[in-house]
Amino acid sequence: MSEAVLQPAADTVAGLLQARLGPGCVHQNTVDGIPTVWIPESRIVDALTYLKTGIDRPFNLLFDLSAVDERLREHRAGLPQADFTVFYHLMSLDRDEDIRIKVGLSGEFPHVDSVTGVFANANWYEREAWDMFGITFDGHPNLTRILTPPLWEGHPLRKEHPARATEMDPYKMTQEFQDAQQESLRFDPAEWGMTAHAAHTDFMFLNLGPNHPSVHGVFRIALQLDGEVIIDAVPDIGYHHRGAEKMGERQSWHTYIPYTDRIDYLGGVMNNLPYVMAVEMMAGIEVPPRAQYIRIMLAELFRISSHLVFYGTFAQDVGQMSPVFYMFADRERLFSIIEAITGGRMHPSWFRIGGVCQDLPEGWDTMVRDFVDYMPARMDHYEKMAMQNSILKQRSVGVGQYSTEEALEWGITGPSLRATGCDWDLRRKRPYGGYDQFDFEIPVADGGDVYDRARVRIEEIRQSLRIIRQCVDNMPSGPYKATHPQTTPPPKERTMQDIETLIHHFLNVSWGPVVPPSECCMMIEATKGWNSYYLTSDGGGMSYRTRIRTPSFPALQMIPLISNGFMIADLIAIIASIDFVMADVDR
Amino acid sequence: MRWRLTKAEPGHPMTEVDSAYQEDVSKSVLLAKVEDLIAWSRSNSIWPFNFGLSCCYVEMATAFTSRHDISRFGSEVIRATPRQADLIVVSGTVFRKMGPVLQHLYDQLLEPRWVISMGSCANSGGMYDIYSVVQGADKFLPVDVYVPGCPPRPEALLYGITLLQQAVADNPRPLSWTVDHDGRDVHVTRNPPSQRDLKTPQRIEVTELAEPTSVGDAPLSDDLLRSKASRGS
Repeated sequence: MSEAVLQPAADTVAGLLQARLGPGCVHQNTVDGIPTVWIPESRIVDALTYLKTGIDRPFNLLFDLSAVDERLREHRAGLPQADFTVFYHLMSLDRDEDIRIKVGLSGEFPHVDSVTGVFANANWYEREAWDMFGITFDGHPNLTRILTPPLWEGHPLRKEHPARATEMDPYKMTQEFQDAQQESLRFDPAEWGMTAHAAHTDFMFLNLGPNHPSVHGVFRIALQLDGEVIIDAVPDIGYHHRGAEKMGERQSWHTYIPYTDRIDYLGGVMNNLPYVMAVEMMAGIEVPPRAQYIRIMLAELFRISSHLVFYGTFAQDVGQMSPVFYMFADRERLFSIIEAITGGRMHPSWFRIGGVCQDLPEGWDTMVRDFVDYMPARMDHYEKMAMQNSILKQRSVGVGQYSTEEALEWGITGPSLRATGCDWDLRRKRPYGGYDQFDFEIPVADGGDVYDRARVRIEEIRQSLRIIRQCVDNMPSGPYKATHPQTTPPPKERTMQDIETLIHHFLNVSWGPVVPPSECCMMIEATKGWNSYYLTSDGGGMSYRTRIRTPSFPALQMIPLISNGFMIADLIAIIASIDFVMADVDR
Repeated sequence: MRWRLTKAEPGHPMTEVDSAYQEDVSKSVLLAKVEDLIAWSRSNSIWPFNFGLSCCYVEMATAFTSRHDISRFGSEVIRATPRQADLIVVSGTVFRKMGPVLQHLYDQLLEPRWVISMGSCANSGGMYDIYSVVQGADKFLPVDVYVPGCPPRPEALLYGITLLQQAVADNPRPLSWTVDHDGRDVHVTRNPPSQRDLKTPQRIEVTELAEPTSVGDAPLSDDLLRSKASRGS
């Protein structure tokens, strides 16, 4: 790593950690400015326990946990020797600080201690890291495949694993194959420590999904039932794993943008934002004000679009058949704006490294203004139709409750966190991409139940409309793309006039930009919670490792906690209130 | 029904009455082979299975809502069980982990049954040439109509359904399937005509395309919408 390795001040968290663990800590500088500490692998449980319980204003949120296959990485001067690295990204909301702990592991299939005893949500993250890298987490209660099928061989994010389907054997659906796969998916209660009988009752096991109208995609939950009451639940994911992280290692920095759209497929260009911002930070690109405003406007339009889908399907899942038709009709009006500006609907892939794809078309402001004038009355109407409906209230108030502490323990972020009374919104607490110039409120509810989660999202639609109106009123003039040499694609105007610009344009379009060796994590307030892209560049035209932290993944892990003791019908309401899409879970 | 007044005149037969009678008969009596009649009614009431895989499913669901209203084509009755449906729209990416489940669901659809592959992923794997994705639903399912797009617009799916309706009406499938020497269903059209090929001559006639510098006819700016909004507030 070209950046100098520094010693932290003693009063910082990194300094405190160093004092506790003694020599053997290595401090790495990263572009995002998050203190990054390499610690000896044997001390990981100790270190995380200390950060979570041993200091004041502790780090109580395990934001992300994953690994990097370091074996082919060239630019890592100053970093401890490692074949694989496991990283733990912790956050302290009280301090408004992050810290990244790394442990370097040696060997083909290394081991490290599990931290499931410290953070509850580490469970799925460690399973994912085992599934993807073959790293064993000693002491993990159930280290099994999570994203790939149970009979899968190999660990896809290891560098030696083939990326392309066309490099592997063709997919053949024989009867034997189908039977074996289906059998491997059969739910075995004993494997999860469940019994079939209790003192006065026999339990029933129900398999909900992977294709079920109310699970919002290909998602499966195995339920242990006493009559209609849920005793325990086991969510099963991986039916929607599209290998987006592996894809990042073979697409150029520029051509990866369309893949981000399809992560949270209701979020459209909102997904482009953390990715392009991370690349811009690594390349040192300043985005002009007009591009920032355009980005914010489109991102907020997509927040509304996503929340409208949530609103309609939520009402439908608790039994109202009509609202979804109203919300989808409004979504179509919104899409007519998206279409006029970007030419696309769900996946415009419209943000670029250094700006946006093109300037706003003539007449955009009338369209957007009409929409923000039109929506509030509709929202009032829906309020009466859906949210004030007494049956909807009875189905959702007091159902699936959790507290702020529980939310943080399980890694819940975004509207689902703000429904518990915590006012953490990244747009306000860590204004990125120009959000500091906007006036808006952070809707917060305090019940933490299904109804409140819906309530927060609905209020967010109104706040997004406010932000969009400010975009229309104050849209700056000027370029929609930076002039920095790494801007992709580079400005075209002068390419036919001087050779320097032509060469530059040619290289940047054919090979794509080359990003200096660095690491950067950029997180945003996406539609469903905090979404981050943690990119590692090895100085090439492609990412060395692309880690996508999505808000939906931890949310599903929490389902057993909030649904046990409720009825199956309540589970449907709970699932609806989480507002997830499976592409955002399995990536 | 047309009404006429005919004056009875001796020596003139009442031809007008005859033609009115014939017209009446032609409107209320249909002569057809039973299988044609069944094919015609089937083609206008295709019931899709409520099945979705990823992004495309959202656009498929949009086709069911007000603006696109799939019920104009008799296909709004989505069924939650494959046993009541005769069409499965493979809307989205076919994942390796999902493949056996999809095959299982397809097997439960009652004959005769049809498959629409919706979107690039289901058509060919699309932009996901990646370890976890099957490179097209047709690797193990007999696909009748391919709808291109990523995701296809709801209108594209509706167009795909009308193409399927034509196929269902023109090429009826028996209740039991018949296989050829290779074990393939003989009633599945192997190489359906590509719409792209059919439309190329008419498309190359278009030589001038509008620059995307203006929003064009903005549907939101019409007065109707404005008046509605002001009424609601």
